[in-house]
Amino acid sequence: MGDEVYSDLMRELKEGEYVFTGELEPEKAGNVNEPIRMAKELKGLVVACNVTDNPQSFAYVNSMAASYKIQEEAGMECVYQLRCADRNRMALLSDVLGAGTLGLKNILALAGDHVSLGDTPDAKPVFDLDSTTLIKMIRTVVDEGKDLGGNEIEDPPKLHVGGAAAPGAAHLKAEVAKVRRKIKAGVEYLQTQVVYYTDVLDKFFDELGNVDTPVLVGIFPARTFGQADFFDKFVAGVDVPPDYLEAMRKTKEIKDKEKRKEEVDRVNVEFFTGFLEHLKGTPAAGCHMMAVGYPRIIPELKKIME
Amino acid sequence: MIAQEQKPMEEILGYLDGKQKVVVMGCGGCATFYGTGDKKAVNDMAEKLTKEGKSVTKIILPLGISACEIDMSAAYLVKNRTALENSDALLMMSCGDGVQVVTEYTDETMGITKEVIPANDALGLVGGGPTKFKETCQSCGMCELGKTAGICPLTACGKGLMNGPCGGVREDDKCEVDPDKDCAWVKIYKRMEKLGDIKRFEQINDPHQWSKAKRPRLFEIEKEVNPVAMMLGSLPAYLPLLGRPKIEEK
Repeated sequence: MGDEVYSDLMRELKEGEYVFTGELEPEKAGNVNEPIRMAKELKGLVVACNVTDNPQSFAYVNSMAASYKIQEEAGMECVYQLRCADRNRMALLSDVLGAGTLGLKNILALAGDHVSLGDTPDAKPVFDLDSTTLIKMIRTVVDEGKDLGGNEIEDPPKLHVGGAAAPGAAHLKAEVAKVRRKIKAGVEYLQTQVVYYTDVLDKFFDELGNVDTPVLVGIFPARTFGQADFFDKFVAGVDVPPDYLEAMRKTKEIKDKEKRKEEVDRVNVEFFTGFLEHLKGTPAAGCHMMAVGYPRIIPELKKIME
Repeated sequence: MIAQEQKPMEEILGYLDGKQKVVVMGCGGCATFYGTGDKKAVNDMAEKLTKEGKSVTKIILPLGISACEIDMSAAYLVKNRTALENSDALLMMSCGDGVQVVTEYTDETMGITKEVIPANDALGLVGGGPTKFKETCQSCGMCELGKTAGICPLTACGKGLMNGPCGGVREDDKCEVDPDKDCAWVKIYKRMEKLGDIKRFEQINDPHQWSKAKRPRLFEIEKEVNPVAMMLGSLPAYLPLLGRPKIEEK
């Protein structure tokens, strides 16, 4: 990690504060009104919000455009997610320079889901770079003012780069070895895929050992049974516990909307209390709350961490 | 070899709509191994087209004579000059390479310009057999196998990542894209582990140099190839085939 601090997220990580981040998802629309509204609700609860880049390979509003609008109109610092699935190394460089130009301060460098899993399955998958080489490229751009070809960049962007880790990966040793590559490449923080089981998390931290790179642990309090069910069925490397899933399923039976919301919140607080209590005793530097469209749960969960 | 499968008959007939006289040409190379251009495949195709009311001339290439190797296949085209001249279309039962080499030769050397239609879809460079095959190499022009324990991630990884695995490995070490396929990077990890060189797995691989695959690639070799002499001269070398081992397919 370099010494420079360009973003609030990095400042909090460097100062050793327990960090909370959120997540915003642009939609298949010609505007980002809804993520802006959510960002306003999250203001003060999280230091920054990830803005997803074609999650699960569903094509939505460009993450850079969304991040810019959200920062401008909601005053929420954004983590611009950037995936290799849709862009070659030239387009990735252009986007990194574009992000700097628009005043974005954090990038989460991702390989991205395969395009065949989303809503445009006949698209040509790119993956010219992978998450590791994208991280390396960004660090070279920011720290040395050069692109991958060694070409000089005038007034290089000032931003930080994070990377992902998957504690629930089927082959944990290979996953962690890959994470070590990202650390060698200069990743400044790691954010994990969603974890529901404390033993999965513990095994991951054991395998990773002592590293200086801060780790944000991803959690996903679901707003609806459908969200939890989707994660369980379609998101690789994530197992949603059957008890939690069943409790969420039962909330569907409650007719009264307000009462159903209360019950969903109760199920989440009950489930995550144990997980978050456990999280306090791990080397995690913070928690990434992937509560898309569900800002009201965040203060409840933060209380547990106090 | 270049794996291939025959296109749906509906698609082939669509291309041949309005074309009465058809020359059907097979291939004695890869297409023979996949049953998409051998003698039987050509005969079957001719029968189907005849039933559709077409008048068919067959050009069957024997085993070892590939349509794409024009030095050899030209003899069979020249022998059928009249049929080609009188035809409305040439249906090629080969990969796209064979289709294009024959198109160019008939057009530019023989002076016969006809519609050339592919009967097959080529599916890549594969290895294996006798019945199961797997794509292993994409002829990228810059072999990376020395860095990856002899398994090509550009081809074997669903995303073609040079630094994997991605976060999408399934519980049984299969790929997020297709549960029937192994995660290439887990295989690379396991092979490096067996080789006692797991530290190598943590090295960062540079992005692949795609400049080596600028298309179309043209090249020349110094020595002229004489396939007939090569085939005859190597006959004794085929003797081990008589005692060849039975392959257990996974």
